[in-house]
Amino acid sequence: MLETSAEKPVPVRVVSEAISDYINRLGQIWVEGEIAQLNDRAGSGMVYMRLRDSSVDMYLEVICPRSVFKSIAPLTENARVVINSKVNFYTTTGRLSLNAQEIRQVGVGELLARLEALKKLLAAEGLFAAERKKPLPFLPRKIGLICGRGSAAEKDVKENAKRRWPSVQFETREVAVQGADAVIQVSAALKELDASPDVDVIIITRGGGSFEDLLPFSDEGLVRLAANCTKPIVSAIGHEQDTPLLDLVADLRASTPTDAARRVVPDIKEELERIRQLRNRADQKINDRVILEMTKVVNLMQRSFASINSRIMRASDELNHMLNQVRALSPQATLDRGYAVVQKSDGSIVRTPTALAKGEALRLRLAEGVALATATGESELDRIRGE
Amino acid sequence: MAKLSYEVARDELAKVVSALESGGLGLEESLKLWERGEELANICQEWLDSARAKLEAAKQVSDE
Repeated sequence: MLETSAEKPVPVRVVSEAISDYINRLGQIWVEGEIAQLNDRAGSGMVYMRLRDSSVDMYLEVICPRSVFKSIAPLTENARVVINSKVNFYTTTGRLSLNAQEIRQVGVGELLARLEALKKLLAAEGLFAAERKKPLPFLPRKIGLICGRGSAAEKDVKENAKRRWPSVQFETREVAVQGADAVIQVSAALKELDASPDVDVIIITRGGGSFEDLLPFSDEGLVRLAANCTKPIVSAIGHEQDTPLLDLVADLRASTPTDAARRVVPDIKEELERIRQLRNRADQKINDRVILEMTKVVNLMQRSFASINSRIMRASDELNHMLNQVRALSPQATLDRGYAVVQKSDGSIVRTPTALAKGEALRLRLAEGVALATATGESELDRIRGE
Repeated sequence: MAKLSYEVARDELAKVVSALESGGLGLEESLKLWERGEELANICQEWLDSARAKLEAAKQVSDE
């Protein structure tokens, strides 16, 4: 560390040397990036490049000897390369650059391998897990749409959505969907829409393209951002066979922009029809229920009628039975043979004629009923009994 | 005497039958019981007849 103060400053050269020492400690490094700018002037022994990070806007100057530059296939801007270089701080100019000793192009095969590795890593972290997938809202208030400027994808999504639900609302962010700026712009749009209060679902879509064109949608930073979004994300990138990593982390993967619209927005005609059908079925069910209940009531009435009827009949039988018993146990049989029972008015039975006074009221119990009589007073006692 | 309910009349009639069955009764008592029995049977019969009539009437209404 340099000890300095307003009274004891250090001169420029000291600072430059210090920086140079510090930088030299980085030593030899392999750097990966994209060629953002190429300055290849004929006659110059050096090729000057600006190397950009693949995901963010950060640059380094690269100085490359022509021989090194020529040793590989012609490099163009936006090519992805790895450079074996030494970081150099030029004390004269105060500039920093990488001195390239070797350049290699990152080929599609290499990129694919890297993608596979990233995929495995993210999968192991559980970012693709089914439990993480959020359900889409049935009817979103606003649909967030991230798409290319004036793209067919944008048109497809909006037209199909409006056809299904005419009053659907979009919150659109037109961004670069390939090239150097894609990752930054898509990420920014995604952050914005995820924070927007009315947006209930976000669609990220672009049309078909080459492997390189779609690479931004496999960028680790963007994919992780999407995985952590609070709102559900629908990914509709490229064609059916394309599978950028964004597809795996999205809550729904649609095969085309049209498909995305269909999955996100319900068809108003279909829904009305479905409601109508449900209504009919409900009406039918209620109708059936009423008829069922009425049948039950009629049934119960019939049963109660039958029940009372049979009780009356049993009671009647019982009554007849008891009456017969009463009669059988009664003096009726004896009376039928012609006997009569003579009773005084108090019901007591007269056995001896002397008990009767003249004019006393008598009750004659005959076989078929009762007759009233009066005693005349005349009587005769049976001799045998009297003694 | 207020008219006995069907159950009460029937139960008393059953007692009359029991008493007559158990025997040992004098003629007076037998006669008394017998007459009471007929009376009770009449009461029961009246009740049953009126129940039948009501049922018949209700059936007519629901058949309409």
